[in-house]
Amino acid sequence: MSEEISYSIAIKRLEEIVADLERGGIALDETLKLYEEGAKLLEFCQQELASAEGRLNEMRLSEIEEKLSE
Amino acid sequence: MRGGSELTTGPIPVGQFVNLIRTTIRNDNLFQNQVIKGEITQWKSYPSGHTYFTLRDSDGQISAVIWQGRCTIDSSIGEGSVVVVIANLDLYAKSGRIQLIVNRIEPINKLGVLEEQRKQLIELLRSEGMLDRPRMALPAIPKHIAIITGVGSAALADMNRLAENRWPGIRRTVIGVTVQGNSAPNEIVRGILAAGKLAEIEVAKRLNQPPVDVIIVGRGGGSPEDLWAFNLEPVARAIIASAVPVISAVGHESDMLVADLVADLRASTPSNAIERLVPEFDQHQMMMLNFELRITDATTRLFVDWRNNLRLLQSRLLNAPLQGVYNANQQISDLSNRLTTAVINKFSQSKQKLASLGNIMVLAAQQSIAAEKTKLAVFASALNSAHPNNVLQRGYSMISNENGEVISRTNDLSKGQNIILALADGTAKATVGEITKESGKNE
Repeated sequence: MSEEISYSIAIKRLEEIVADLERGGIALDETLKLYEEGAKLLEFCQQELASAEGRLNEMRLSEIEEKLSE
Repeated sequence: MRGGSELTTGPIPVGQFVNLIRTTIRNDNLFQNQVIKGEITQWKSYPSGHTYFTLRDSDGQISAVIWQGRCTIDSSIGEGSVVVVIANLDLYAKSGRIQLIVNRIEPINKLGVLEEQRKQLIELLRSEGMLDRPRMALPAIPKHIAIITGVGSAALADMNRLAENRWPGIRRTVIGVTVQGNSAPNEIVRGILAAGKLAEIEVAKRLNQPPVDVIIVGRGGGSPEDLWAFNLEPVARAIIASAVPVISAVGHESDMLVADLVADLRASTPSNAIERLVPEFDQHQMMMLNFELRITDATTRLFVDWRNNLRLLQSRLLNAPLQGVYNANQQISDLSNRLTTAVINKFSQSKQKLASLGNIMVLAAQQSIAAEKTKLAVFASALNSAHPNNVLQRGYSMISNENGEVISRTNDLSKGQNIILALADGTAKATVGEITKESGKNE
């Protein structure tokens, strides 16, 4: 659950970063920091999106119970 | 037996008349051992052991009685039960009441009594606070969905199709169970338990897959009896006990089952469960792309601003004192380097990480940054070659007065004035002798 919550938090933070950068008038250091943070958050979110992809597994209850009891 | 025409004996006493009817009924096969279907109302058992009730349907009703010990009564039979009775019609002369004497009674479905049990279960769960306990939030992006439903069912096909439309390849484990009939409740409970196991970190690690983070349990529409497993206590308890959120997705919009009441989310149909759980991949990708473009654009704009500021600084520096020029030049070089290396590197690094977006706009932004980098590099080298030290190295010297002001015109000199010569490796003091201004040389 914590990861899902942080995806939502990441989106919120990204919105703040974009707003700050678009407002402008910030120091170079600050811009670099914001850019770096934004890039990291974007990467994290992209990973989140990618990690939802997987296989479709269809099993009978008995099969899955057998697999779980191995 | 008297006929209607035998009027000579006078009026028939009512008791005789009623008994005449009774005899007629009892001797008519149409009214004896008849198999009759109806719903029970006013079900009442007396201490004597006799049971009275009314059998009815939408078109009519009739009183009935089960004499003590006459037949076995299924424990599920009661108020609201729909039953088949085998009964003889009789007339109780004393009250003139016509009624069925039941020889056998069987439930044709248990719905009436089930409905009662369902109400009791809901009341029990309510009293335990289970109906208004805090619900778990669904994952924003489900990493592994467990779907507990009938294998090969239309509901499953719908869910799979819809899930693929919204998020191609989203990870799902379908646990195929029986969703109606006697074994359904047990299988559904075991299905929820199995999904719970798949949600455990250790199990997920062992199976080399992400833990299940949400469960859908459901089936398509059917008769109330078909859906009944989802009204039973074991299923409700299993849903309540689940460590990951459970979506109940049973039947149609109008079906409200106990599972719906206790689940973390009630979906009106199996398809609705997918619609509410699985986000649209494209939308999230667009959102990410949008963020990336806006960050890149805004940052690029800021870089261009700084570059312009540096140019301004450059032009102001050209007339500044020597030491100041040197320091400022150093600063500009530092700044340029940081812009051209740190920033640009970060840009291209993260650009590679995000390359999956494969967007032309991103590439364009990247190119614009690369162009900035080149401009800054050219600018930095121009600034370096303009540095006074480089000029002095070539054998020129620079003259300044005792206040450190650079002198480049004869007008600023006077005979006998003390001046300072800046050479490549140091300074020398001197005194001005003859001054000759060459006409035609530019001011």
